[in-house]
Amino acid sequence: MLSDIQSREIKEVIETCPEVGNILEEYGIGCVPCSVGSCYLSDVVGIHNLDPQTEATLMYRIEKAMYPDRDIPEPKVDLTKKVAPKEINYSPAVRNLVEEHVLIKRMLALIPAITDYVDSSDGVDKELIMGCVDFIRGYADKFHHMKEEDILFKYVDELGEIIQVMYKDHDTGRNHVRQAVEGAESGNKAQIREHLFGYKELLTQHIKKEDEILYPWIDRQLTDKQVGELFQKCSAADASVGEELPRRYEKFIIDLEEKFLKEVSK
Amino acid sequence: MSDCCPGSKTMDFSEKTDQGDSETGKRPSQLRQWPIQLHLVSPQAPYYQEKDVMLVADCVPFALGDFHKDFLKGKSLAIACPKLDSEQEIYVEKIKSLIDDAKINTLTVQIMQVPCCSGLVQVAKAGADKATRKIPLKQVVVGLEGDILSEDWI
Ligand SMILES: [Fe+2]
Ligand SMILES: [Fe+2]
Repeated sequence: MLSDIQSREIKEVIETCPEVGNILEEYGIGCVPCSVGSCYLSDVVGIHNLDPQTEATLMYRIEKAMYPDRDIPEPKVDLTKKVAPKEINYSPAVRNLVEEHVLIKRMLALIPAITDYVDSSDGVDKELIMGCVDFIRGYADKFHHMKEEDILFKYVDELGEIIQVMYKDHDTGRNHVRQAVEGAESGNKAQIREHLFGYKELLTQHIKKEDEILYPWIDRQLTDKQVGELFQKCSAADASVGEELPRRYEKFIIDLEEKFLKEVSK
Repeated sequence: MSDCCPGSKTMDFSEKTDQGDSETGKRPSQLRQWPIQLHLVSPQAPYYQEKDVMLVADCVPFALGDFHKDFLKGKSLAIACPKLDSEQEIYVEKIKSLIDDAKINTLTVQIMQVPCCSGLVQVAKAGADKATRKIPLKQVVVGLEGDILSEDWI
């Protein structure tokens, strides 16, 4: 029975049958590297909002992989029905969060050039590292992650695994930053490189998960009333830090790009 | 109006009768206010204060079988026709006042798929641009046979 698989934890399912991990990955569902992994299989599939046809085929393949002997009717695949890739329509507050990711991703893109520069210079340019840390702490964490944690995530079950994974990512990110600061203070270049790259890898995946999966999933559950409320709460949070803060951090990134991306292209 | 205008082109869906579920029993109205026409309503009316408001093109509720149940329920309403109504600058001012004075929570503009109907979205956007408060704005496009073609935050 399909229902017995759906209510099992994903990590345990993949452990008993690694083939399921491969199937999920084929559908763009990357549960294998997840550190928590106690989401139910049904939630994991549900959150991806596949069209019914694709979802039925996916569940059929998973069940077949786990119980090859079971007699499962193959879902009829209607090949005439092409599902157009739908552009994600975020609600306005969520769209602003997606736009904030863009500036964070510009910081992440600079990390290789910055660490190369640190490695090739004599001492450690502490001011440079601390500037990046200030961006990560002030913009990515305080300005952006706080809106997620204090406002957006409150609209769904915060204790749910999916949100817990997000919290964990935020924490892991903070830890990478602490370690990078330690490296800058002690002049340990390898430590700086390791943790800035760690942060880059983590946040790249984290932002992708939010943009493509988590945010649309939250948006789908919001009533119009909640969309309005969420927008006002996020606007109030932005107003409380002032318009100057995001502008100052954008300027910081532009200056870094001037300095480092130009050097690369030279 | 000439035949080439898609907004007034004659079409017949009479073959389609009796589609869908047959209903028994009465369906309650979800309307909780009067008046509803955008020239007649006042943004000061209590039923707009901090509410989620629908701005609906006149033709929409006739096309959309479940308008009351799926859209009107829990919302406040204003109706208008962007093609035939006069003095639409007043509409723009009223939208602005709904946002700034009545402090409405969201505005959903529901229009028919015909090209002239998108004028109502332009009116709503113009009002929203003039307002100092910012609120989420949604566009819902309804097909001539009552299907929802799109529903997007804009
Ligand atoms: Fe996040
Ligand atoms: Fe984020």
